[in-house]
Amino acid sequence: MFRRTFTLGSAALCASLYAGLAAAQDMRAPTGPIEFTVGSGAGGSPDVIMRTFAQILSEQGLVENPIVVQNRSGAGHSNAYNHVLGLSGDENTLLTLASPVFTTPIVQGTPSVIDQITPIALLAESELIVLTTPDSAFNSLQDVVAAATEAPGRVRVAGGSSGGNDHILTGLLETATGTTITYIPHESGSAGRATFLGGNVELHFATLSEALELVQSGSGKPLAIFSAERRPEEVFANVATAQEQGVDVVYTQFWGVGGPANLDPAVAAWWAEKFKAATETAQFQTWLGENLYRANPLTLADAGAYFAEGQQTFRDVLTQIGLAK
Amino acid sequence: MLDQLFIGFATALEPNNLLFIFLGVLIGQIVGALPGLGPSAGMALLLPLTFGLEPVTAVMMLAGIMYGAQYGGTLTSVLIAVPGEASGVMTAVDGNAMARKGRAGAALSISAIGSFIAGIGSVMAVALLAPPLASFGLKFNAPEYFLLALLGILAIGSLGGSPLKSLGAALIGLMIALIGVDPLTGTPRLSFDQPTLMKGIDFIPVVIGVFGIAEVLASLERIESVQPIRTRLRDMWLTKADWMKCRFSIVRGGAIGLFVGIMPGAGASIASLLAYLTERKFSSTPEDFGKGAIDGVAAAEAANNAASHGAAIPMLSLGIPGSASTAILLAALILHGIRPGPQLMMQESVLVWGLIASMFVGNLFLLILNLPLAPVFAALLRIPYVYLAPAILGVSLVGAYAATLDITTVWMSLFFGVLGYLMIKFDVPRPPLVLALVLASLMEMSLRQALLLSFGSPMIFVERPISLILLTAVIAALLLPVFAAVRRRRDALRAGVGTGR
Repeated sequence: MFRRTFTLGSAALCASLYAGLAAAQDMRAPTGPIEFTVGSGAGGSPDVIMRTFAQILSEQGLVENPIVVQNRSGAGHSNAYNHVLGLSGDENTLLTLASPVFTTPIVQGTPSVIDQITPIALLAESELIVLTTPDSAFNSLQDVVAAATEAPGRVRVAGGSSGGNDHILTGLLETATGTTITYIPHESGSAGRATFLGGNVELHFATLSEALELVQSGSGKPLAIFSAERRPEEVFANVATAQEQGVDVVYTQFWGVGGPANLDPAVAAWWAEKFKAATETAQFQTWLGENLYRANPLTLADAGAYFAEGQQTFRDVLTQIGLAK
Repeated sequence: MLDQLFIGFATALEPNNLLFIFLGVLIGQIVGALPGLGPSAGMALLLPLTFGLEPVTAVMMLAGIMYGAQYGGTLTSVLIAVPGEASGVMTAVDGNAMARKGRAGAALSISAIGSFIAGIGSVMAVALLAPPLASFGLKFNAPEYFLLALLGILAIGSLGGSPLKSLGAALIGLMIALIGVDPLTGTPRLSFDQPTLMKGIDFIPVVIGVFGIAEVLASLERIESVQPIRTRLRDMWLTKADWMKCRFSIVRGGAIGLFVGIMPGAGASIASLLAYLTERKFSSTPEDFGKGAIDGVAAAEAANNAASHGAAIPMLSLGIPGSASTAILLAALILHGIRPGPQLMMQESVLVWGLIASMFVGNLFLLILNLPLAPVFAALLRIPYVYLAPAILGVSLVGAYAATLDITTVWMSLFFGVLGYLMIKFDVPRPPLVLALVLASLMEMSLRQALLLSFGSPMIFVERPISLILLTAVIAALLLPVFAAVRRRRDALRAGVGTGR
């Protein structure tokens, strides 16, 4: 399977560029039921996001075709993306793009997925916050940097999974500050959170909606947010950005969607239009607000460029922390 | 607290909610009975259908699938020795042995009763003690999980039969678990660049092969002589003696299940294994274990249902799922616009208490559903084996495919079927292989996490109080057989001296 998809790589790249040009072109709806392939298990963030979109697309009457969210979980999303990579030109399957789709090929030394698939849309972004335990002596990101400088490796992060967003962010933090931090991977983000709540480590990275609960209940103390600006919400208004604290790291987690290689540009353009329309609904905006996510509605070639840039960041950091093969 | 529980019951007993609780447990019963399709798969399939419902109704129904599957899983374990989930392995051994003796009805009944009592007990713990139990559960982390898994692996050696063969089978299980991707670094290992192997070997094709398919292969040799299991209606029901033997097994199994269930990192499979092994220590007839011990079945089934309810404790009071099923319950909350976390019990008290109350109701439904039907299902075994065998094979292969939607899983389950057949032929016990496969990933991950936490120092296992207690138990498990052997030899020598020979 790998050999076959590899030779398709260059053709797919052309196809994806072509899809960008086709944006102004005619659009064509696929016929029959649609599968949203998700590489996480049910309940993971990519799964929740795709189910939300499936719900909005159907309920708002944007897409008439029945949509099934199919979890092909396991093996760092490779069960899911290999399934979609094997369906060149298929019009009834879309792949959910979450960080493992980018990082697993880099870590396993297999051909990039992003270079092969047809980019359709960027769906949502999430800012990340770093928390420490409530009784910790750390009161700012600077305290963390000072501790990690004094005793390299002594500051520990309870993380989601190896090569995951929080691992990448840990790597960026290490590079920006010249420190060494111990990242401890878990089976899932919530398993990492259990380790953090049990007081076993110093740090934990969380999305805003996860952090909100921890901060409000007093089980986590926020130290910094890794976005360009502070969040307006009352809970987070006092949380300084990493940049404000002299650490030049801006990092956003994101989720997107793509089609198989060689997807008809007219179908890709149709999907791009539908996803864009979905992000403009009040239903989506409410959901976005509830989850404290951000919208950044890029489609087709623009989304492709965004994904390519994301892939480069992943590759740089994974190479630096020694995980890239 | 009681007022809240009453409000919860008022919510759960609304006709509309009652209907959906019933639907949930019924679906759970069915998906649990199909090997390969566990509760989490069933819940994921039905998640989109809950969008039109009130959040509390949706969660009640999905939770019903979660614990309903624990009742349903017993069915295939007992009748055809194919456990639908890792937590059913012990039931597949002893429950099926009972079925072969014509006591399938009793095995199913005691499972339903045991699950019910343990389920109700656990829900009471959820209602009364969730926050303190959740913070207690957080005291368990990597070092404790490692020792718990190690204790399980060591105990596997004593499951019965030759300890050497058992440990050998466990070793094979551990080795199979290493294939795939290194859980800490994400790099492939032992995969020989084969995409199929890179995914790792899932529990489902192994258990379906080693239990279901191997059993069919072995019986093909003697298909002429296999008689349908003769059951008299009298043997279908539970006797008073059965109940007297099992009542404390259920209490002990339920307590162990709840205890393991509240730990966010350990699941129903460890719970049922530990409960089974504990029960053998307490049993008046330990020699029956592995050959159809009803108290073993009762303890294991009570434990896995208690654990599945216990997992609601970290979920409701911390927002941390303790199992794949609770992860989907949390997802359902998020999809309905409710943010799970430490404040859930306060902010969404109607939902939380409605859910807790619905578990009482749902368990009652399941008991009513399962008790009268136990003899009916047991009667399926009266079908001659020539007709039953292809059906078992069909269910097994479909189950293997349904678990992953990947045809390679089917080939894999056939491969493990042949391996299981050879194990039967060479009289190597099969449960150790499957249990080791389940425990291996927890054991590996938690050992490496523990050493990362301690910056490489093994002292972490001694410095943490709970870890120290477990370590003592591990050392005792290793040394006791040695002491026992020494004492036996000394006694034998003395006896020899005493008789003057």
